[in-house]
Amino acid sequence: MVVDLTHYLVVSAIVFTLGVAGIILNRKNIIIILMSVELILLAVNINLVAFSASLGDLTGQVFALFILTVAAAEAAIGLAILVTYFRNRGTIAVEDINSLKG
Amino acid sequence: MIQAIVFLPLIGFLIAGLFGRRIGARASELVTTTLLFIAAGFSWIVFFDVALGHGHASAPVLANWFTSGKLSVDWALRVDSLTAVMLVVVNTVSALVHFYSIGYMHEDPSRPRFFAYLSLFTFAMLSLVTADNLVQMFFGWEGVGLASYLLIGFWYQKPSANAAAIKAFVVNRVGDFGFALGIFLVFQLTQSLSFEQVFAAVPGIAGHKIHVFGADFDALTLATFLLFIGAMGKSAQFLLHTWLPDAMEGPTPVSALIHAATMVTAGVFMVARLSPIFEYAPDTLAFVTLIGAITAFFAATIGLVQNDIKRVIAYSTCSQLGYMFVAEGVGAYSLGVFHLFTHAFFKALLFLGAGSVIHAMHHEQDMRNMGGLWNKIPFTFAMMTIGTLALTGVGIPGTELGFAGFFSKDAIIEAAFAAGEHRSVAYLAFISTVVAAGLTSFYSWRLVFMTFFGKAKESHADARAAHGHDDHTHADAHAHGHDDHAHDDHGHGHHAPHESPIVMLIPLAVLAVGAVAAGAVFMGDFAGHGYDEFWKGALYTGHDNHILHAMHEIPHWVSYAATVMMILGFLGAFFVYQLAPGTAQKIAHAFPRLYRFLLNKWYFDELYDAIFVRPAFALGRLLWKGGDGRIIDGLGPDGIAARVVDGARLAVKLQTGYVYHYAFAMLIGVAAVVTWFVAGGLR
Amino acid sequence: MSFSTALAHHFLPETILALGVLALILIGAWRGTRAFGLVNELAAGLLGLAILALFFGQTSEASLFEGAFVDDAFARFVKVLTLVGSLVTVLMSRDYLQRAKLGNFEFPVLVVLSTIGMLLLVSADNLIALYLGIELMSLALYVAAAFDRDDARASEAGLKYFVLGALSSGMLLYGASLLYGFSGTISFDGIAKAITGAPPLGVIFGLVFVLAGLAFKMSAAPFHMWTPDVYEGAPTPVTAFFASAPKMAAVAITTRIVFTAFPGIVGQWQQIVIFLAIASMLLGSFAAIGQTSIKRLMAYSSIGHMGFALVGLAAGNEAGVRGVAIYLAIYLVMTLGAFAAILQMRVEGRPVEKISDLSGLSRNNGTAAFFLAMLMFSLAGVPPLAGFFAKYYVLLAAVDAGLYPLAIIGVLASAISAFYYLRVVKVIYFDEPAPAFDQSPLSLRAVLAVSTVFLLGFWLYPAPVVEAATAAAKSLF
Repeated sequence: MVVDLTHYLVVSAIVFTLGVAGIILNRKNIIIILMSVELILLAVNINLVAFSASLGDLTGQVFALFILTVAAAEAAIGLAILVTYFRNRGTIAVEDINSLKG
Repeated sequence: MIQAIVFLPLIGFLIAGLFGRRIGARASELVTTTLLFIAAGFSWIVFFDVALGHGHASAPVLANWFTSGKLSVDWALRVDSLTAVMLVVVNTVSALVHFYSIGYMHEDPSRPRFFAYLSLFTFAMLSLVTADNLVQMFFGWEGVGLASYLLIGFWYQKPSANAAAIKAFVVNRVGDFGFALGIFLVFQLTQSLSFEQVFAAVPGIAGHKIHVFGADFDALTLATFLLFIGAMGKSAQFLLHTWLPDAMEGPTPVSALIHAATMVTAGVFMVARLSPIFEYAPDTLAFVTLIGAITAFFAATIGLVQNDIKRVIAYSTCSQLGYMFVAEGVGAYSLGVFHLFTHAFFKALLFLGAGSVIHAMHHEQDMRNMGGLWNKIPFTFAMMTIGTLALTGVGIPGTELGFAGFFSKDAIIEAAFAAGEHRSVAYLAFISTVVAAGLTSFYSWRLVFMTFFGKAKESHADARAAHGHDDHTHADAHAHGHDDHAHDDHGHGHHAPHESPIVMLIPLAVLAVGAVAAGAVFMGDFAGHGYDEFWKGALYTGHDNHILHAMHEIPHWVSYAATVMMILGFLGAFFVYQLAPGTAQKIAHAFPRLYRFLLNKWYFDELYDAIFVRPAFALGRLLWKGGDGRIIDGLGPDGIAARVVDGARLAVKLQTGYVYHYAFAMLIGVAAVVTWFVAGGLR
Repeated sequence: MSFSTALAHHFLPETILALGVLALILIGAWRGTRAFGLVNELAAGLLGLAILALFFGQTSEASLFEGAFVDDAFARFVKVLTLVGSLVTVLMSRDYLQRAKLGNFEFPVLVVLSTIGMLLLVSADNLIALYLGIELMSLALYVAAAFDRDDARASEAGLKYFVLGALSSGMLLYGASLLYGFSGTISFDGIAKAITGAPPLGVIFGLVFVLAGLAFKMSAAPFHMWTPDVYEGAPTPVTAFFASAPKMAAVAITTRIVFTAFPGIVGQWQQIVIFLAIASMLLGSFAAIGQTSIKRLMAYSSIGHMGFALVGLAAGNEAGVRGVAIYLAIYLVMTLGAFAAILQMRVEGRPVEKISDLSGLSRNNGTAAFFLAMLMFSLAGVPPLAGFFAKYYVLLAAVDAGLYPLAIIGVLASAISAFYYLRVVKVIYFDEPAPAFDQSPLSLRAVLAVSTVFLLGFWLYPAPVVEAATAAAKSLF
């Protein structure tokens, strides 16, 4: 079978949905949310690279590189905030994070 | 220069208003008064430059105010001869009143507030007279109104002062509504509100009809009529006059500044400023004449029987404003403005003199409790006499000798007669102004005789006697509105009357100079040979408007009529109050109905109470009890409020605090947007 | 024009801030914790310099960095607002942070970094620049939200903001990748040229996802959920910052992208914007009723106000953009003034943030009570205060564009929201006095006074703001 653009897009959509589902369904560990975010970004990168190849235009791949870079910074900040939260509350269970509401 | 004139009072207001409590009363007085004197000095320079000299009229644009579609309004300060005259009047009187108030108000604890209001008023009045478009004029118009309400209700502990402020506010709303509608209509007709463009467009639309409520009206007549409604409210003309006498609840310097010399003349000024529009609306001019004539006569009749010294002068003001409108109605705008100019001096003089009398009598305002004061407060007596001479128009016809009122008032009477050739309503105005001249003379001298002559306190018994008849009448309740703020420790006249401090007498002297000389000095410029050089086109007169020439070709008896009436009035007052005291009571006995009719001010307050106030209250009560209580509270509001609270509870419930719920909401959001989008949205 | 002169003419504010912030970091690293006061003042100076650079800089339009960065009147207008928001935040935060033992030099550095991100975002002219600007802005904001490391609530606020922010970035990127794929380019102009007539489904999805990501940043419902929690949990100066500068940038880039990248499908994105506007206005007016925390109240208030700004955008024409620009300016002043008042709420050295703490303020501090009451009236849109004109201009544009239902809903939402603003006024003036507030620093009182005077005097002289907004709107068309 020929793997064409559509297949890439479907895979990417599935990965994106998995990432979002990970955020919404996960009640236990925030680390999983961070991983889900990475999944979402991965889906975006698949999209961009696939489009780039199909269009014969390098911009998409450059975009993907930028996303990788920023995602690293984002993950670092996310982990840092996670650590401060853990120091304060002693837990990183998602369902415990609800002292602010209403 | 002009910026300084307009904004110095504003600065004074801000300093006294914001920091008055911190810098103290004395500093507030000094700052505001000094700034006003500087502004007044500048105003005279502008007057000599623009009006008397060869300075050019200008309207420097300060900034764009707002632009909305075709409507573009600038902040601009228009300076021409008309403005220069008003600047001089406003700033001179205001500066003197500030100065006078230092003495008059010296016992009042909230002086910074008083001086701040005075300066605020002056700023608003200046922005009114320097307006270059109708919106800015409306800004000043409402600004002076605001300051006026604040000052009428200055002694807000007094219920009567609050009632008077509310009354002034409500009555002025009627006029302002007309004014605003007039502005809208002018914009509708000319697509502009700046004076230059409106005036240029007016000749082109003369005779246009507009269709309102199923009838055709002449567009300009309707527009000017609406604008004049505004002038009637502000200038307390017949039908909308009821607030002015009550406004005397304010401190006396306020009455002198706002309710005699400046604000109430705003209507006169507005008609003069818009003369290029009014000239194209002869029907409105006839209406202006009619209203002016009625007011001149009717207010004078009421003045005959009032006992409160300030109310007498207030009705006199009303009546004199009627004269000004008569002049403008017959096309002699310059005479109207001239009378405004001279009237400002002698009426401010009379009010401040009355203030001095009240001060001397320890805040007694009822003339029946006065008497024989002439040798106790001789200076005030002299000044009041000069003011009375000027108001009654003493002078020798055919010569250049006379007090200020002689020139301006007699000229108006002559102009009314001359205009009668073309319009019969002007004859009516002529008759009513001549009669009013006699009445004016009578009540003015009555005031002088009751206050300064006779035996001290003896008139008290007379007053009681007179009192017996009109006990419980409405007017009498008002007549006892003593000026008794913060002076509870003073009895009424239990101390010997004393002359006022020098700080109060100087303004009297300055105004007296104006009351004596303003007429003779400026007559030629305002309405005589110097007309064109003086006005330089600031006032517009149509091609067939020759009123200023025609008034010189009238029979001689007309010129003498006013003077004769003035002398008759004096003799009448002299007879009734000097030669044969007690005649007044006899006359009152002889015509009880007429007396009570006049004492109760033609029953206007009762009439309005019956026609407007009580139905309004009834309607309000109906809506409140029936509409609000039964229908809305019963069905709607608690229902709506409950739904709102339900909505709030739901929205808050959604905010669970769980991150995954929030993320889910975002996803739902995306889904909702897509669905909405596919469904076609709200369009 | 050589590249360096182009930089000097059109990239000066960004250059000043970027170089300056490096110096600030060095100073901070050198002097450690003692550096806070100095760095704070220098940061304020940098932001002020950037504002001056904008005021006295070029007024021509220019495109830099291969079309990634555009400098036009619209960008300059919003940049001034953004910088003013950041500058006032820096000025207002000093006293609070020092008292809270949070006087670390990182805070001003974060504000400046975030501000650079906003400036780049406002000028972004392709999808990469858009993404980088948003991330630079957001990464600094995540940290700022959790700036009070020892406070559980602040950490929770930071964590929530981070998680949801990452999700929104992901959505934005997913949309951006779809747009790139279906139009073959990342530049806004190119996208505009590629999309004509009926757009493919991929473009629609791309548009929805991109707008969802941007709506998150401006906290428009239903992407607003983070706002109340983060506003409440974060330290108050940070909340003030969140409510002011980033909102300017987010609304501005949304406006820019819909008008420069999607002018061919106005009807389509208009639907989305109308939906966001209605949802935000209604939520903003309902949910704030019954709130007890003034910071939460302000959160819902800002959601509602963003809804109103979107009403102008929904009009889809130049008048609408002018309305949006005016709305942003007036909203900025109102927000900064309100937070200046909230930052003054401090009893015996401890900050308080309940609405009931304002009880009887009129008797303890009449001036502050009057200013705060005027702010509330303006937020409610009572004429003749500036808040009324803000609403007037956007609703006028919506009515002119024929969006009557939207305008009617806007007026209704405004009426409902007046309820909770006026409740604050009632608490200030008619309730029994709560303990008096401490004497507050001059900077806060000055911000409160200046903003109130602006709101009170706006109707007298609106021309500068309106004219600048008109020019800004014109440059987008």
